[in-house]
Amino acid sequence: MRSLTFAAALVGASTLVLGVAVYRVQVDNHSPHAWAAATVAVAWAFVLAGLVAWLRRPANRMGPLMLAAGLALLARQFRYSDDALVFTVFFLFGELGYALIGHSILAYPSGRVNGRGARLLVRAGYATVIVFPLAVLLLHDRTSTLIELPGVPRRSLLVVHPDPHAVEVLQKTQIVFFYGVLASLFVAVIVQRLVRATPRARRMLAPLLLAAVALALRAVYECAHVFVDQQPLAYPYLFWWQIAAGIALPLALLAGMLRSRLARAGVGRLVLELDRAPATPRRVRDALARSLYDPSLELFFWLPEQAEFVDDSGVVATLPADDRRRAVTTLDHDGVTVAALVHDPSLLDEPELVESAGAAARLALENAQLHAEARAQLQQVRDSRRRIVSAADEERRRIERNLHDGAQQRLLSLALRLRSAQRRSNGDEGGAIDELLAASVDELQGIVEELRTLARGLHPTMLTEYGLAGALGALTSKAPIPVKLDVCQDRLPAEVEAAGYYVACEALNNVVKHAGADGASISARHDRDALVLEITDDGIGGAVVGDGTGLQGMADRVEALGGRLRVESPAGSGTRVVAEIPCAS
Amino acid sequence: MRVVIAEDSPLFREGLAHVLGENGFEVVAEVGDAAALKHAVHELEPEVAIVDVRMPPSQTDEGARAAVEIRAERPGIGLLLLSQVVEAQYALKLLSEQPEGFGYLLKDRVLDIDDFVQSVNRVAGGGTAIDPEVVGQLLGRRRVHNPVDDLTGREREVLALMAEGRSNHGICEKLFLSPKTVESHVHNIFSKLDITAAPDDHRRVLAVLTYLRA
Repeated sequence: MRSLTFAAALVGASTLVLGVAVYRVQVDNHSPHAWAAATVAVAWAFVLAGLVAWLRRPANRMGPLMLAAGLALLARQFRYSDDALVFTVFFLFGELGYALIGHSILAYPSGRVNGRGARLLVRAGYATVIVFPLAVLLLHDRTSTLIELPGVPRRSLLVVHPDPHAVEVLQKTQIVFFYGVLASLFVAVIVQRLVRATPRARRMLAPLLLAAVALALRAVYECAHVFVDQQPLAYPYLFWWQIAAGIALPLALLAGMLRSRLARAGVGRLVLELDRAPATPRRVRDALARSLYDPSLELFFWLPEQAEFVDDSGVVATLPADDRRRAVTTLDHDGVTVAALVHDPSLLDEPELVESAGAAARLALENAQLHAEARAQLQQVRDSRRRIVSAADEERRRIERNLHDGAQQRLLSLALRLRSAQRRSNGDEGGAIDELLAASVDELQGIVEELRTLARGLHPTMLTEYGLAGALGALTSKAPIPVKLDVCQDRLPAEVEAAGYYVACEALNNVVKHAGADGASISARHDRDALVLEITDDGIGGAVVGDGTGLQGMADRVEALGGRLRVESPAGSGTRVVAEIPCAS
Repeated sequence: MRVVIAEDSPLFREGLAHVLGENGFEVVAEVGDAAALKHAVHELEPEVAIVDVRMPPSQTDEGARAAVEIRAERPGIGLLLLSQVVEAQYALKLLSEQPEGFGYLLKDRVLDIDDFVQSVNRVAGGGTAIDPEVVGQLLGRRRVHNPVDDLTGREREVLALMAEGRSNHGICEKLFLSPKTVESHVHNIFSKLDITAAPDDHRRVLAVLTYLRA
């Protein structure tokens, strides 16, 4: 790193000297002082931006590219020299600087040129700026006129066949092809890139807009310069505009890259932020989204035991496929997957940023992973608790059904047969058999009645047949105190009705046994897909969950279905039990 | 009298058919579910349908729902619902849906054959047969001031039988009282409970039940 800084300082110092030399060369060739200085300033801007970018992001090719562009812009000015060798060498640098600028713009911000079209464009640019000057040098001698280099005749060391006409045609063709065709395509590629970009990428790509403007200005300037004989009044303005754009462009590119650099500073803050408060999955996600400037970021945790990803609330999730809209990066620690980020694809251009954010958040991520794991397990426990309650309910229902369809019916049928037999025997056998049969029928009827009571305790038929309204109606009509009833007629899922019924039973039981109340009321409403059941009395109050009044059992049952049970029982002012049971399973 | 029986337990169904057959009814169809019941009623046009409330496939209140549909199609038919469990609220709801020719009894009531036969006949004749259990639930309801408490024991008995759907004549038989005595009890009940005296039996039942429900 230190040697890199040293090298950069060296290059910077040399560029300063070189810039002064270039300035002299131009002034010697009758360029206005200000114009010469401006040209040097554009080159310096690129060199400076390139050096800073290189130092800050050594792995990124943007730095070298901008540096090379700046140096090439300086070097091209030596073609003004009347020394044949210097002229020959540096004439070749003609438009190379602009090809490099185009390359660095298309490579922004990752340093790699993405897309076939863009890569072709870059290659075509390089080919143009190398082939045409070379061809010109092969055909040029003192007799032909070189655009931009009027006055002193210069000699090409490479000349093989002097042809002034061909030289002119070649030069004009180059200008038209490079600043006309290629520049238009270049602007089109940039516009397309901006239009297609995701919101995050668009923010990052903003400097490209400036690039397009700068290049368009440069192209108009160049064409006006070459093809308009009487230079228009706007010519000086055009010159200064393209100079201003030329200086602003490298600085904008650098700023764009330093933005990611800022983002990396954000990663530093991330550590602090995550250190301060407990790392819940949601907080880690939010912090990562902020430091990576990607509000759309999603975080999934890997649960090794279940071998699946869960989202920040513990729900099992499937990662989306990588595509143009979403990209997936997995975060590993010691070769073990910890989490996965689903993010804006523009982040793929800054793998180090994602990597460093992942590393910074590692501890928090591992904590959050544990969190997520605990949540997932809690969810499983909840599910199994619900299943256990449902299974128990189902079992009670099944036994009740069996009693109803089996024993009760058969005993009743048997009683009916005996009754028929009794009637037929009337008068034949006298009182003894008649009495025996009558007693048997009575006995059977007693058994049926007992079974009915048993079945009702297991699972009230009323609940199955007429829902909560019917079952609570039956319950309250047998209560020893007046109970006001206000129950919605909706049929709800069986386990919800059962839970509601048992809560009401238990609560009413408590009212009768403990509250010393003169009256009670039960209301049940179906509100926003939940059953809200309320049992109130005007008794002595003071009931507490878990003191053996069965309130704990009620709470368990309601919570098993994901609901809540509240008991308000201030001493002396009655008791209010409210159960909220969600209906969605 | 032509009767259709809908009951999913074959044993009980047979027993019921047997009892009815022996007591002068013509059982024209014995079916095991609501769909078959509706079909049988449509085809055979019986005077009475005796229907188990809980039948396949849902094993909830298929029978009762079928009864409502049958009533809509054939207003004159007598419908007697049988159930393992009777419930006052539900009875009142059913009764408000079909006030005439309707009965709702616990299955056990079949065992008192004479009484059961009377109930079937009453329902067939447009009258009412409400299970004593239902009436008991309504009578036993706790209220802050229950005028039923002002009734004498005998009057309460008469009120209960009235609510079940029995005529004065039926009450005489049941309680071994003279028609004159029953009439005076009924008169007292109406005045004590402040019910407008109603002429027909089933109107009388409705009046009483409406009072009890209030």
